[in-house]
Amino acid sequence: MRIGETLSGLGDFWKEYRKVGSGLVGLAILGLFVLFAVLGPALVPFPGAVDHWHDITYWQDNPMAAPPAWTNALVARKGAVSARLQPTESYPSEGGGASYAFAYDYRADRPPRDLIFRYKGSGKVFALLEATRPDGAKAEIYRGQLELGTDWQRISVEHDARAGVLELVSSVDEFIGASIDPASARPVSLLFSEIESDMADSPRALKGEYAFELRIQPLSQGAKAGVPELLVSGQVSGVLGTDVSKRDIFTGVVAGIKWALFIGFLTSIVTVILGVTLGVAAAYFSGPVDWLLTRVYEFVYLLPVLPFLIVLSAIYKPSIYTFMVIICLLFWSGPYKPVYSMALQIKEETFVEASRALGSSGGRIIFRHIIPILLPYSFAVMALSVPGVIVYEASVSLLGLGDSSIVTWGQILEAALSQGAVINSLWWWVIPPGLMIALMGMSFAFIGSAMDKILHPKLKTR
Amino acid sequence: MFRKYLAKRVIYGILMYVVMIFTYSALFNKVAEETVRAQIQEQVAQEASRYRNVTPEKLRELIESSRAAKLHQYHLDQSYATRVLWRAVDTLTFNFGRSAIMKAPDGDREVLAIIGDAIPRTIVLFTSEIVLVTALGVILGLYAARKPGGTLDKSVSMVTMITNGLPAWWLGMLMIMLFSYAVPIFPSGGLQSNPPPQGAAAVLDFLWHLALPLLTLVLLNTWGTGYLIRNIVLSNLQEDYVMAARARGVSERRVLFGHTLRTSMPAIMTLAILGLFSSIAGNIIVEGIFGWPGIGNLYFIAVQQNDVPVLMGTLAIETLLNMIGFILLDLIYGLLDPRIKTGGKA
Repeated sequence: MRIGETLSGLGDFWKEYRKVGSGLVGLAILGLFVLFAVLGPALVPFPGAVDHWHDITYWQDNPMAAPPAWTNALVARKGAVSARLQPTESYPSEGGGASYAFAYDYRADRPPRDLIFRYKGSGKVFALLEATRPDGAKAEIYRGQLELGTDWQRISVEHDARAGVLELVSSVDEFIGASIDPASARPVSLLFSEIESDMADSPRALKGEYAFELRIQPLSQGAKAGVPELLVSGQVSGVLGTDVSKRDIFTGVVAGIKWALFIGFLTSIVTVILGVTLGVAAAYFSGPVDWLLTRVYEFVYLLPVLPFLIVLSAIYKPSIYTFMVIICLLFWSGPYKPVYSMALQIKEETFVEASRALGSSGGRIIFRHIIPILLPYSFAVMALSVPGVIVYEASVSLLGLGDSSIVTWGQILEAALSQGAVINSLWWWVIPPGLMIALMGMSFAFIGSAMDKILHPKLKTR
Repeated sequence: MFRKYLAKRVIYGILMYVVMIFTYSALFNKVAEETVRAQIQEQVAQEASRYRNVTPEKLRELIESSRAAKLHQYHLDQSYATRVLWRAVDTLTFNFGRSAIMKAPDGDREVLAIIGDAIPRTIVLFTSEIVLVTALGVILGLYAARKPGGTLDKSVSMVTMITNGLPAWWLGMLMIMLFSYAVPIFPSGGLQSNPPPQGAAAVLDFLWHLALPLLTLVLLNTWGTGYLIRNIVLSNLQEDYVMAARARGVSERRVLFGHTLRTSMPAIMTLAILGLFSSIAGNIIVEGIFGWPGIGNLYFIAVQQNDVPVLMGTLAIETLLNMIGFILLDLIYGLLDPRIKTGGKA
């Protein structure tokens, strides 16, 4: 087939394809998926997270199992949203230290779960944290020595500033401060509430601008601290919330797109190439080749695919690439039989006979004459076999047998299932990954059936 | 003639099954043997602790001979090829070995007993699914075929495509969140309430527990089946006898339900049987979501506990079920369409 012919063929095909509404919808959804896969790192709040998905320490500053931020629109009492704040200004102090000012605008009804100041550096430093509330109350809520290393050093208001916050309350009203039980006090909640007698039991939010000043003073020779940042660990978090391991689900779902597309596309392409080539070969060569291929086909066809994949994965723990090879070896039986019978017909056509009479080799006839005719059908089968591949990967992952070096929707759902998302109704953890699987399956089904309709006009209606 | 065809199909099926079991045993023998070795080690250690008043040399001798005897019993002292052969023979004779962790209700650790206990529940769940799906699918298909291109027809094919890549187990998770926690109508899982009720209440309780997994599967699979039945009915509607019936003035309703449905029945029955076996092979892990203690649930437990004998036993049994399904299908085809069996080629 020449390039010009192919192009005009494609043009005709597109003219037909445009008329099928569902096909266009499928193509649009697929386009969105591809767009998200490409733009993914720029869209998610934790771009480097894909390599750290199974690394629990990477996520430790996020809130645990927080609903998506937009759920605030649905409830009367708004929760504080997770955020990451940089210092608004910084100025050096004596002795090589520095002060950093942070401003946090608190507009919610339920305070954040924690405020975490974190920084990196080296050597021993002295840190001092001062908080100023919108009502003018001001106190030093933390002071301490820290040994800096390559890992983040953290000052958590909830865990490290209990005494300091109580002092702040006492500085406004001594009696209220004394009435609060220090053991059960919740520092962040106290910090963000109006100072009144029952503030520990039924806190009322004090909204407004909160200012924090963090002073870091080096103690040892050559000690250095980097610029700190303030992490607000909110009641609600991100586009799709967080899971029990504090991971940002939106980041995971977007990372899953790339893998689903990769796994789906590559395996279905290889599968169909394998199935079509073998089907044509069996039909063309007949005799012992046909016999052998048909036996192998029956073997693969009769294999219970999912149980076999589960046992194989449980025993050998294959990487995703090995898994894809196994899928290819199991799935080529799909297009094999239809291709086989189509190729049997084409083989008897006069142009094939003519080519053979001209002395063409078997390989030439197969690749130049038979396979081009089967190409449109092959593309339809390719599109239609993508959902199956993705669902099989997800099913095997659901049992905890996925490749742990990547992020797939099945693995997110496995974590959700095993960590009680269903029992605790953490819907934002269960719905998005599954919906993605369903949407991707749907888009390929739409595309495949649109192609099918064009190729087999009879199926259209009557 | 049919008897000959039957014998041919059954023998061919058995041969294929043997080949498959050999493949499994070649693929998985090494890991399966590790389990057996560990079990032997445990048994020998147990025996050793029972010996009293023997010299250390004598004890070592006793242990060594006991271990050698056990290794010989399981053919572990022979060449790789022999071991693969014996594992295949064991699997073919349903001698799957013993589970390290799991037990059947009567305390039996034999894998066959554990699977035997689970299979009826799987069959109950999936058979009732297929019966419901087929019944609903026939209704849906008939009405869709009545007006091809109509609203119902279009929606059936649309929903079929939407549910195409939707994992049943995910829908199951949503159903549990919806109907067991948000609106608590159904139990979230299991086979019966605790404590189990007696008499007629026990049956109701069982159905109550069956309802949610069944609903999930039916909700998902009815559409595809309806769409296929629509295609079968539609092709039959174009036959001459339908035109003749219409010309005779037979009502459209009778044409549809009397003439067309009757001629479509064999194809629909085939579809149902095929659906049953593909559902057992493909939707099995739905059981794990609902804690339905069938063979699908065994996967979740066996994978977690790394219980290789149970995994392999389940795989062998599912392969057998699959094979029986396909042979059955072939036989039904042969029975319905005499042309097939004379065709010779498989």
